[in-house]
Amino acid sequence: MIRRPLRPLARVIDARKKGQDPRLVEAEERAARLRAIRAAERQRAETRLLLLAALFLLGFGTIGVKMGALSSTVAEEPKAGAPGSIIAAQRATITDRKGRVMATNLETASLYAQPQHMADKRAAADGLAEIFPDLDAEQLYKRFTSKRKFLWIKRKLSPEQQQAVHDLGEPGLQFGPRELRLYPNGTLAAHILGGSSFGREGVHAAEIIGVAGVEREFDERLRDPAQSGEPLSLSIDLTVQAAIERVLRGGMSVMNAKGASAVLMKARTGEILSMVSLPDFDPNHRPAPATSGDPSLSPLFNRAAQGRYELGSTFKVFTAALSMEMGLASPDTLIETAGPLRWGKFKIRDFHNYGPRLSLTDVIVKSSNIGTARLAIAAGTPAQKDILNKLGFFEPVPVQLPEAGRSKPLMPAKWSDLSTMTISYGHGIAATPLHLAAAYATITNGGLKVTPTLLKDPDLPTEADRVISPATSMHVRRMLRAVVTRGTASLGDVEGYEVGGKTGTADKPKPTGGYYDDKVIATFASIFPASNPEYVLVVTLDEPVEMTGSEPRRTAGWTAVPVAAEIIRRVAPLMGMRPRPKREEMDDPTVTLARN
Amino acid sequence: MTYFDHKQLRVPTGFRKLLYLNWPLALLLAAVSSFGFLMLYSVAGGSFDPWARPQMIRFGMGMVIMFIVAMTPIMFWRGVAPFAYVGGLGLLVVVSLFGEVGMGAQRWIDLGFMRLQPSEVMKVAMVMVLALYYDWLPPEKVSRPLWVLIPLVLTAVPTALVLSQPDLGTALLLVAGTAVVMFLAGVSWWYFSAAIIGGVGLVSAVMSSRGTSWQLIKDYQYRRIDTFLDPSLDPLGAGYHITQSKIALGSGGMTGRGFMEGTQSRLNFLPEKHTDFIFTTLAEEFGFAGGITLLALYALIVIFCIWSMMTNRDRFGALLTGGLGATFFFFFAVNMAMVMGLAPVVGVPLPLVSYGGSAMLVLLGAFGLVQSAHIHRPR
Repeated sequence: MIRRPLRPLARVIDARKKGQDPRLVEAEERAARLRAIRAAERQRAETRLLLLAALFLLGFGTIGVKMGALSSTVAEEPKAGAPGSIIAAQRATITDRKGRVMATNLETASLYAQPQHMADKRAAADGLAEIFPDLDAEQLYKRFTSKRKFLWIKRKLSPEQQQAVHDLGEPGLQFGPRELRLYPNGTLAAHILGGSSFGREGVHAAEIIGVAGVEREFDERLRDPAQSGEPLSLSIDLTVQAAIERVLRGGMSVMNAKGASAVLMKARTGEILSMVSLPDFDPNHRPAPATSGDPSLSPLFNRAAQGRYELGSTFKVFTAALSMEMGLASPDTLIETAGPLRWGKFKIRDFHNYGPRLSLTDVIVKSSNIGTARLAIAAGTPAQKDILNKLGFFEPVPVQLPEAGRSKPLMPAKWSDLSTMTISYGHGIAATPLHLAAAYATITNGGLKVTPTLLKDPDLPTEADRVISPATSMHVRRMLRAVVTRGTASLGDVEGYEVGGKTGTADKPKPTGGYYDDKVIATFASIFPASNPEYVLVVTLDEPVEMTGSEPRRTAGWTAVPVAAEIIRRVAPLMGMRPRPKREEMDDPTVTLARN
Repeated sequence: MTYFDHKQLRVPTGFRKLLYLNWPLALLLAAVSSFGFLMLYSVAGGSFDPWARPQMIRFGMGMVIMFIVAMTPIMFWRGVAPFAYVGGLGLLVVVSLFGEVGMGAQRWIDLGFMRLQPSEVMKVAMVMVLALYYDWLPPEKVSRPLWVLIPLVLTAVPTALVLSQPDLGTALLLVAGTAVVMFLAGVSWWYFSAAIIGGVGLVSAVMSSRGTSWQLIKDYQYRRIDTFLDPSLDPLGAGYHITQSKIALGSGGMTGRGFMEGTQSRLNFLPEKHTDFIFTTLAEEFGFAGGITLLALYALIVIFCIWSMMTNRDRFGALLTGGLGATFFFFFAVNMAMVMGLAPVVGVPLPLVSYGGSAMLVLLGAFGLVQSAHIHRPR
C-alpha cells in the first residue's frame, strides 16, 4: 500500500499561502492516516473473528455429530472381564462319594498398589499393616516410595479384608478379581486334595492350577470348561475320613509316634474310602516345600501313598498264600521253626522261641520269621517274585495321585536266596501302605486283584485279574482272623466286626546303613469282617513307643493294633455295618447254623 | 483513549447500567449452571449434599461477583490487568511451593473457606493482560518480531508453572487463549504457521523422548495418549474413563434414561463422575437431547461473546471479550471432546457444570468482565 504522506507539499504550500499553520495540516493528515490504519485493522479483526467463529462452529459441529453418533449406538455393557479374563475359567468342584464338597471356588479379590496414584503413602502403609498383621508398615512404605509403578500386596483377600482396605479410601490401592480355591474342610483329606496355586497371573484374573494331589492329577479335567459344571466325585467318604483322622491323631500322640498313616479301602473294588497321613497341612494355605531336611518328614509328604517303609511281618501272609497256592503246604502243615536259621554268615531269629515246629496257621499267628523263610526257600525266588509282582509290589501304586507315581517299592537289585528269605517276612523290601492295602484286598477278597482308586464306582475286577484261588484266599482270611483271636493282634478284636489282620514291626533303617534298635515302623494290616471282607484297613505308625507298661513297647501289637481297633470301632457303624454276634467257630459255619 | 474520553461517549451510568447489561447472557449462564445442579444432585444419589448445595451457593456468590464486575467500568479493569497478571503469577509460584497436593497434582491454595486454584485465575488474567498489551501497542507494530515475543514470554512463564503442577489441560487452555487473542489482534499469519509447524515438531519430540532419560512428560500422560489412540488397550485401566463414558452416552440414547435413572454413573462405574466426567451423567440421563441442549447453550454464550466483540469499538474490551469467549469455548470443547473420545483425557472440567468452587467463581467473574466491556462499550 502506498503510504499517505504526512506533509503533502501541495497542501503545505497551499496552507502557507493562506497563512495557516502547516502543522495543522500535518496533524490532520496524521489523524487521517491513523483512521485508515484503524479501519484496515478493524476490517482484518472482523475477518479474523469470523474465521474464528467458523472454527468454533466446526468444533460445535464435530462435538454435536459425535454426540449423536454415540447416542445412536447400542450401549455395550462392560463384559465380565475384558481381555484378561480368558484365563479364569471356573474350576470344577471336588466332592466326596456322597456329594459333599471337598474343594470349591470363592469369588474374591486380589490387592495391588499403584504408588504413583497414592494420596498418602504413609497412611496407606500403616493402614495395611493394621489389616494384615503379617505385613510390615515400614517395609510397605519403602516399597510404596520406590520407583515401582505396580506392586502386588495380597494375592487373595477375604471379603472382610477387602472391605477394610476399601475403607482406607486410598486411590492407589486397587482390587483385581480373583477366583480362590477353597477347601472348606481345612486339613481334612489334605494329602488327597493336594492343593492349588495361581498360575499365570494378571491384574484382572488369575489361573488356578493344581499343584499336588487330585488337584494336580485331574488338573485338565477340573479346568475343562465343558465339565466345569460337573463335580469331580471321589471315592472318599468325608465322615469316615474325619473319624479316622481324629482317631489316628489321638493314637499318634498316645503312642508317641512322629508320624502315622491309615488307608481304608473297599476290599472288592479298591475304592479308597479314606487315606490319612499325619502330620498334615491345610491345603488352603499349602506350605512351600522345605528346601532342607528330610522331605519324608514334611507335612506335605503323603505317608500312605508316598512313604516307602519296610512293612515287616505283614508280608508273611503273602508267603503263606504262595505256599498254599503252590500246594507246598496247607494251613495245618507243620513247619520247622527251630532257630536260629543259619544262611551263610547270616542268622534268622524269631522274637520268641516257638519250639521245633508250628503249623502254617501258627507260623502266621505267632509270626515266625524262621518258618516263613523256610517256606519262601521252598517256594523259590521266581515264584516269590511272581506273586509279589501280581500283587503290585513291582510298580508304583496306580492311584490317581501324582505323588504315588514316584514311589516304586524299594527292593534289592540282586535278589539272592537270602533276599528271598528276608522279603518273605517283609524285610529288605519297602513299599507304601497303599501297596499293602491293595495286596491285602486282593488276597482276602477271593483272590481277584484290585487296583486302588480315588474315583467312585470303578470297574470291578474280573476273573482275568485272579491272583490266588478262592480257597487259598479263604485260608488266608482264617489265618488273619486267628492272628486277632489268639495271636499278636489280640488287642484288635473289635466285638461284632470280626476283625482279622496281621501285625508288622520293622526296624527303621539308619541313613548311614544298618538298622536302629529302638526305632520301628509298626504296621497293622486288617480286614473286616474276616469271613467275607468288605474293608481293608492299614494303619502305620512311625517310631511309636507305648510307655504304659513296665518297659517301652514298640511292637505293632501294642501300638498300631489298638489304634486300628479304635478306628474300626468308630467307622464301621458310620459305614452302615451291623455288629454281628460273636461266632467262636468261624471255621465251621455249619455248627453255628445248627446252634441257631 | 482514557477513562475521561469514555465518559464523553454516551455510556450509561449508575443503575441505568442494569438496563444495558446483557440479560440473555446472565440467563444462559444460569441455565448452564442449572444443568450442573441437576447432575450433581443426581450423581449424589438424589441428594443436595455433598455437591449440589455448595455448587448452588457458589453460583449465587459467582453471580453477585459477576454483577459487581459488570457494573465496574471496563477502564478500571484495564488498569487492573497488569496487577491481575502479576498476582496470578505470584499465586502460581506460591502453589508450586506450598500448595495442597490433590489427585497427583499440586494445584490448590487452601484459603480456609475454599480452595483456590490459581491456574483458573491465571486463565483470565492472561487474556486481560494480552488485551491490554494489544490495546496499547500501535496496530502497525503487532507483527514485528520483538512485539510478538513479548506476549509469548508473558504466556510461557505461567504455562511452565502450570505444567509443572502438572496440569496439562490448563496449560493447553492458557496457550489456546493467548493464541486467540494474538490472532484477533492481527498478528501475521506467518507466526501462526510457524507455531503450528513448531507444535508438530514439539509433539514428535515428546513422543520420541518416551522411555529415554530426557522424557518430557509423565508416564501417565503417555499412557493417556496411548489409550486415546486405542482405548481398548486397557479397558479397566487408563482407558476406563473413555470406555465407560462412551457406554454411558450410548445407553442414554436419544432421550436418555430419565433424571436420576442413570446406572453407569450411579453405580460408580465412572470415576470423577462429579467433576471432569459429569457430562456422561448428563448424556446418560437426558440422552442426546440433553447433551445437544447443553451444547447449544454453550454455543449461544460463545455467539454472544463474538457478537459483543464485533460491536465493540474499544480495542481492549473487544479483545478481552474475544479472548474470554474463546477460552470458554476451549474449556467445554476440550472437556466434551475428551469425554467422547475425540481428545486425550487431559483433566479439564466442564465449565459451570462440573463441581468445583474456584472454577465457578472465576468463570462468572470473567463473564462479569465480558458484561462490563459490553456495558461500557463506546457508542
